[in-house]
Amino acid sequence: MKDQLFTMMPEMPAVSAEVIARLDEDTRRNFLRMKHWSEMMMNPKEPEVGPTPREEIYRKNKSRLWRYASKRTHRTPLLFVPNLGISRPYIFDLMPKGSFIEHMTQQGFDFYLLDWGVFGPEDNGLTVEDAVTKILPRLARKALESSGASEMSVLGYCMGAPLSACFLTTHPEFPLKNYIDMAGPIDFSQVGMFGQWLDARYFDVDKYVDTLGTIPADMVKLGFKLLKPTMDLSTNVNLWWNLWNPEYVAGFNALNKWANEYLPFPGEFFRQWVKEFYQQNKLVKGELVMGGRPVKLSAIACPVLVVGAKEDNIAPPACVKALMDAVSSTDKEYLELPGGHISLIAGRGASTHCWPKVAAWLAARS
Amino acid sequence: MAETGGQPLFDLWKKQVEEGSQAWLRTLGQGQPADPQSFWRPFMDQGMAAWSKLMTQGPPSADLMGQWKQFLDQWIAAWSKVLEQAMGTETFAQAMGKQMESFLNTSGPVKKAAEQQIDAGLAGLGLPSRSQVIGVAAQIVQLEDKVDGLEDRLDAVAKELRELTAAVKAARA
Repeated sequence: MKDQLFTMMPEMPAVSAEVIARLDEDTRRNFLRMKHWSEMMMNPKEPEVGPTPREEIYRKNKSRLWRYASKRTHRTPLLFVPNLGISRPYIFDLMPKGSFIEHMTQQGFDFYLLDWGVFGPEDNGLTVEDAVTKILPRLARKALESSGASEMSVLGYCMGAPLSACFLTTHPEFPLKNYIDMAGPIDFSQVGMFGQWLDARYFDVDKYVDTLGTIPADMVKLGFKLLKPTMDLSTNVNLWWNLWNPEYVAGFNALNKWANEYLPFPGEFFRQWVKEFYQQNKLVKGELVMGGRPVKLSAIACPVLVVGAKEDNIAPPACVKALMDAVSSTDKEYLELPGGHISLIAGRGASTHCWPKVAAWLAARS
Repeated sequence: MAETGGQPLFDLWKKQVEEGSQAWLRTLGQGQPADPQSFWRPFMDQGMAAWSKLMTQGPPSADLMGQWKQFLDQWIAAWSKVLEQAMGTETFAQAMGKQMESFLNTSGPVKKAAEQQIDAGLAGLGLPSRSQVIGVAAQIVQLEDKVDGLEDRLDAVAKELRELTAAVKAARA
């Protein structure tokens, strides 16, 4: 009877050992995926971000100056100027072994972070000019005093690059040793989709600011989400794919927390930023005036490193690279690295492609 | 990692998406209101064609999930490219500008009316309005600016004094 049953069964297709091994691995991963997913849903843990020890040096209104101490094997400290508004700066110190700040301090640089803070409706009158002529000079001076150094290197990231460039060119008394622009737009005629959307023919910034006052975080979020509409989908697909890996899940949780914390813009800041930078492209033309002083990028004569990201759609490489021709430095270098606007400086790729190069360039000049 | 057994299929898929995107962009460029059915049809057709081919071919390798992930990545990348192309056009920027304009025209008066009502309600309760609180906070910010200015002046005076003292000491010596 048993033999008869076997002969009645259709012939099963041959299954290779490779397929069985693969199925086995997939089953194991699926089990882990379910486990981690249920943990994320049922018992979500607040990710711990900003692990590198730091001390507050100074505060002005909402802005803070943080010092991340190192063994200081290099004489010249580094002042890091990120974007104002949009997102929080803990992305630069996201998690252990995944932190630009941790890397730089381990390389022996005393690291000063300018945290612009979260501006409220009472700061609506704050302009780009105020940030450049009131906040930045004061915090840069405090960083210099705190370090006891005679010179300081400045690294501007994203919007922090044009802001710091404006500060440095209008404050020649600041003892600048080296200047680094990372993914910071300089020539706004080549700034890509944001430039097109904010074109004066289509975008009435005056009406926008007059109506809304503060530019709400949700509006900022909408703009950035629109820039890459498939981002959320691909993020979730990649999360599902890697959900079996606890290290990936930990990194995702931290990054996801940051990616969903958008910050508002002070209204007047947004007005001047869009008008004079995006619509009139005054920075690279040398037509900007801040605090009664002309902003001439050619006034930057120290060693300059410009870093663009190949797939950056917020500050495409061409608009970043423009700084190379604008400064009068003889020691200048342009690097175009893999990644996008954020992955240039944060994440696993950045730790291999970007941080060592920036640290090495700076080490040779500090 | 996924194997490359299904590469011709992905190439076919990408080609179809690119062709579809061009048709889609042409529709957008003409400025006609998009018919939902014809708008999405190229993509639906491509998806169906690719999937049916995949189904008839059978699994090209042992790593079925890896291939599926690769397929999904290609699909998202193709969509991303199509959307970026569409959103990088003047037509899109113009449409977005108009959308924003109508949003502001609607939300402006609504926001103002809501603020007035809330302020009236708070005044009725003898509480300060939102704008009054913001005004006080703004004054504090200005006050801090003034204190900072004074601190700067004092620092400058102190520096001059130090330099002067050093110069006097040097002259005496």
